[in-house]
Amino acid sequence: MTAAPAAGRLRRVGREVRRIRIRPRFRGRELTLLVFVSFALVVGDVSLGATRLLKAAQEAGERVPSDLVVLAAPAVLATYIAGLFIVHAALVLAGRRTDQILLPTMGLLAGIGLLLMIRLPQDLAGRLGGLAQTQLLWLVIGLAIVAGLAVAVRNDVWLRRYKYTWAAVGVALLLATFVFGRDINGARLSVTIGPFSGQPSELLKVILVVFLAGYLSENRPLLVEESTRLGPFRLPPLPYLAPMVAMWAIALGIVIVQRDLGAALLFFAVFLLLLYVSTARFSFVVLGLVAFVLGAGLLYFVFDHVRTRIDIWVDPFADPNGAGYQVVQALHAFARGGLIGTGLGAGLPSIAGRPPIPALHTDFPFAALGEELGLVGILAVLGLYLVLVERGLRIASAAQDEFRAILAAGLSLVIGVQAFIIAAGNLKLIPLTGITLPFVSYGGSSLLANSVIVGLLIALSERTREPLPPPRRPGRLRRLLDRGAA
Amino acid sequence: MDAAVLAIWVLRLLFLALLYGFLWLVVRALVRDLRAAAREPTAELGRLVVTASPSGEPPAGVSFALDAITSLGRDVNNSIVLEDEFVSATHAALTYRGRAWYVEDLGSTNGTFVNGGQVDGLSPLAFGDEVQIGQVRLRLERARP
Repeated sequence: MTAAPAAGRLRRVGREVRRIRIRPRFRGRELTLLVFVSFALVVGDVSLGATRLLKAAQEAGERVPSDLVVLAAPAVLATYIAGLFIVHAALVLAGRRTDQILLPTMGLLAGIGLLLMIRLPQDLAGRLGGLAQTQLLWLVIGLAIVAGLAVAVRNDVWLRRYKYTWAAVGVALLLATFVFGRDINGARLSVTIGPFSGQPSELLKVILVVFLAGYLSENRPLLVEESTRLGPFRLPPLPYLAPMVAMWAIALGIVIVQRDLGAALLFFAVFLLLLYVSTARFSFVVLGLVAFVLGAGLLYFVFDHVRTRIDIWVDPFADPNGAGYQVVQALHAFARGGLIGTGLGAGLPSIAGRPPIPALHTDFPFAALGEELGLVGILAVLGLYLVLVERGLRIASAAQDEFRAILAAGLSLVIGVQAFIIAAGNLKLIPLTGITLPFVSYGGSSLLANSVIVGLLIALSERTREPLPPPRRPGRLRRLLDRGAA
Repeated sequence: MDAAVLAIWVLRLLFLALLYGFLWLVVRALVRDLRAAAREPTAELGRLVVTASPSGEPPAGVSFALDAITSLGRDVNNSIVLEDEFVSATHAALTYRGRAWYVEDLGSTNGTFVNGGQVDGLSPLAFGDEVQIGQVRLRLERARP
């Protein structure tokens, strides 16, 4: 007489339909911070407008108009701020006890990005219309995604259960880019379907974190076990190393086929960080770094585009008007900015109608901010990213189970690592890789992917305890459907 | 002219100051959060939630804070007493070793099951796993922050 037969009878006991009662919940901290953010953005916009007016007057040799208080692009800014408050209202109405700091922090970062887009020449966007309008459109869609995810995602079963499906989707996206992608500036990143073009690798970073969270939370006890010894290193059982090797291979594949150094660096860094977060084994990190150095060394000797990047990094002044042009211009921009910057709109006038750095709005927004807001300004921007990462790790440490913990840590680290890679690249601390500055850079795919991250983080931060579905038990699909119906 | 330049200077500095003002507000909130979290005692290493208990003692829904070693069984000397006629006197033990939880069957009559599979000897237990002891089903969860 074992207990197992009784299980069939007992399983029915806990199955009752849970109704979600929705009662608005005031979010005072978020409201205060959003009001503050709006005020800061309006001040920044007035500063930009006044500087422009003054410069125009000086160039025309006219008297300075007495009324300098003018907004640079009032409609764009007003729409954006209204969008922020609508998301806030949606979160209040949803009545969940979720994080109140992520939205204002993201809002300020994206707002600074929007001010930058208002300030830059509007024709950088290409055929879609003005730079600021296009960025605003994507921001509004991004805010809608944040609100949608933060309100609707109450259950993570659909993420945790189908981790291999998500991984397959990610690999499919990657392959689609390999096959159908167009080459832009030597990198094969974007896929065009009809009128839309997008960069699947942006979405891939979210999918990667979901898969890793699912895999690591399930196999953590096995990964911590030591059964293989390799010199001084103690390794987990060999079959469980396979995904690690696969990740390394995927990162290298991205570099070789897609020529996207930034994404490869991001994926591998996030993978190593999550491995460390879930196992607390420093030897994994050392091993990963050794593999990374070996792979990077190999790529340096085999592939031209990798060698070019490294050579530019070592000495951009070897060819200041050719290969090293962007990096040299970025360094000059930081130098012109000095301590407090030249002020929004007062940066270097464009050379023959173009900004000095071609990819200023996507790859070098950090240099542009460094010029116009100075060291003080970019330290504040880095501080904002630090806040996002801290919030994410805090959500992870308070999470109910390992999957949620690793997911929250991974999502916030994606933003942090991304910001680090591109900021350090702009500053010539590491070789420059084409990657976006989260929320600040121009670009739809990047904004949408980062909005998904913030939306998921807010949803994950809910403090009321939802009973977890016990994993690895038969009949789970049935219960998932029940939940969906409820 | 001078007034205009001065006004723009003030605006620039005000914008930078506001960025730091925002950071200050946020960091203050973060520090408060961390302090509040630190005040709460988090001595427990995990929680065991009763998901099903036909005999009603302990009732379903109750959760126990776990120490490093928790014994389960019908005997009153166990850390968690399970009043169920299919539970042995000293039935099973939950132990926290290194960084992970383990469950061990202590030679019970009916055995111990993790997620429906019978445990023999020491078996690792992840958060979210369900342990069945007699007719009582318990789920291991993270400690409350």
